[in-house]
Amino acid sequence: MSEYLQTVFDKFELRVRKGYYYTEDGIWTNVEGTNVRIGVTDYAQRTGGDVAFVDLIREGTQVEMQADIGTLETAKTTVSLHSPISGTVGQTNATLVGKPELVNSDPYGNGWLAILAPSNLEDDLKALMSAEEYFQLMLKKLETEHKKLESR
Amino acid sequence: MRRTTPYPTGKEVVVIPCSGIGKALGSISRDATYEVVDNLRKGVTDTTCLALIVSGDEEALRLVRDNKCITVDGCPLQCAQKNVKLAGGDLAASFRVVDALRENRKLKPKTVTFLDHDGQQLSAILARDIAKKVDELVGK
Amino acid sequence: MVDLPKKKVGVISCSGEGCVEGTISRVATRMALEQLRPDQTVTICLPLFLAGGEEERAFARYYPTITVDGCEKLCAKVGTERYSGKVASSIVVTDSTGNPGCSKLPARRQLNQEALILAGKVAQKIAQEVDEVLKHWR
Repeated sequence: MSEYLQTVFDKFELRVRKGYYYTEDGIWTNVEGTNVRIGVTDYAQRTGGDVAFVDLIREGTQVEMQADIGTLETAKTTVSLHSPISGTVGQTNATLVGKPELVNSDPYGNGWLAILAPSNLEDDLKALMSAEEYFQLMLKKLETEHKKLESR
Repeated sequence: MRRTTPYPTGKEVVVIPCSGIGKALGSISRDATYEVVDNLRKGVTDTTCLALIVSGDEEALRLVRDNKCITVDGCPLQCAQKNVKLAGGDLAASFRVVDALRENRKLKPKTVTFLDHDGQQLSAILARDIAKKVDELVGK
Repeated sequence: MVDLPKKKVGVISCSGEGCVEGTISRVATRMALEQLRPDQTVTICLPLFLAGGEEERAFARYYPTITVDGCEKLCAKVGTERYSGKVASSIVVTDSTGNPGCSKLPARRQLNQEALILAGKVAQKIAQEVDEVLKHWR
């Protein structure tokens, strides 16, 4: 049984990791014991483009849900990143400084962004989407893109 | 380096772009290569098609095996570098457009088919860097 | 892989740097993709395809492909058939010029008016081939 929900758009396979939680703008959250690890989704990295820089908030910073926690600079644009939960930034992925392309090549694995110590996890998770819900949202976005192309 | 093959180009360094068609970075790799080969270091550089190298074209293979090569890749996947190495090319240097992008953060090239202003600027910057490397390789 | 595949045609261009016909091939493919048949086509990156790009090869294995080559060396066609199977259609730019082989004319970097017009014609040809392929899709 696959760890992912998957779909194909054009030549791209887009995956959503089962068991994770998601924001609408494509940040995933995985609970790991008392901490959470976050990153960007396959769909988000695909639409954003090749990542050239990952700038993240300083370790030790306290953040509220939806607060700015950094940016992804890609070849074509700059994407703001917002925290999916409230808590303290425990660790940021230092590997991304020299290898930002990991966000594109391994968004659910080595391309993770940060680990947070949550302050209100139970309530915050209720506000996030399940993998199935995010997958449906992604399909809707792809359908909208498809319709835009059709109408050109 | 003296050629012993019956296919002399008279050139010393071969610059091979990835020319990836899906991204602006690929277009920039191609444009920067032309700037070097047709303009900045005309006469001491040449280029050839990556696809010809991979398909085993004799002329293309001889060119990359008998001369120093510089690959210019758009993105971290580095298709030109991989394929030139696999073909036994004499790989002297590798450039990635994405690295030039990191050094010039204000530039955001968006278009693929015809380069926009930012794409042209990034191409020009990269071409100058490649030209410097060519000078090193030919001992100037 | 899941999902019902939408009917799309993969277009694989040679992008040969050596001559203007390679640039025409590339530009024509992008024109077909961006303007003429944006919903029905997907461009396959030939260098990535040849280097082992799984998504590119998988697409070309399961979907029909049209190759666009600058010259009679047919790098895109040969490469596609080697790694993913027979192509649905093959277009060669030099067939349109009537001159076999690379022309080595200037303007390989930036197409002049004549070359742009030719690219437009090749793009139209690609679009026609896409329609033909989709008509016969089972």
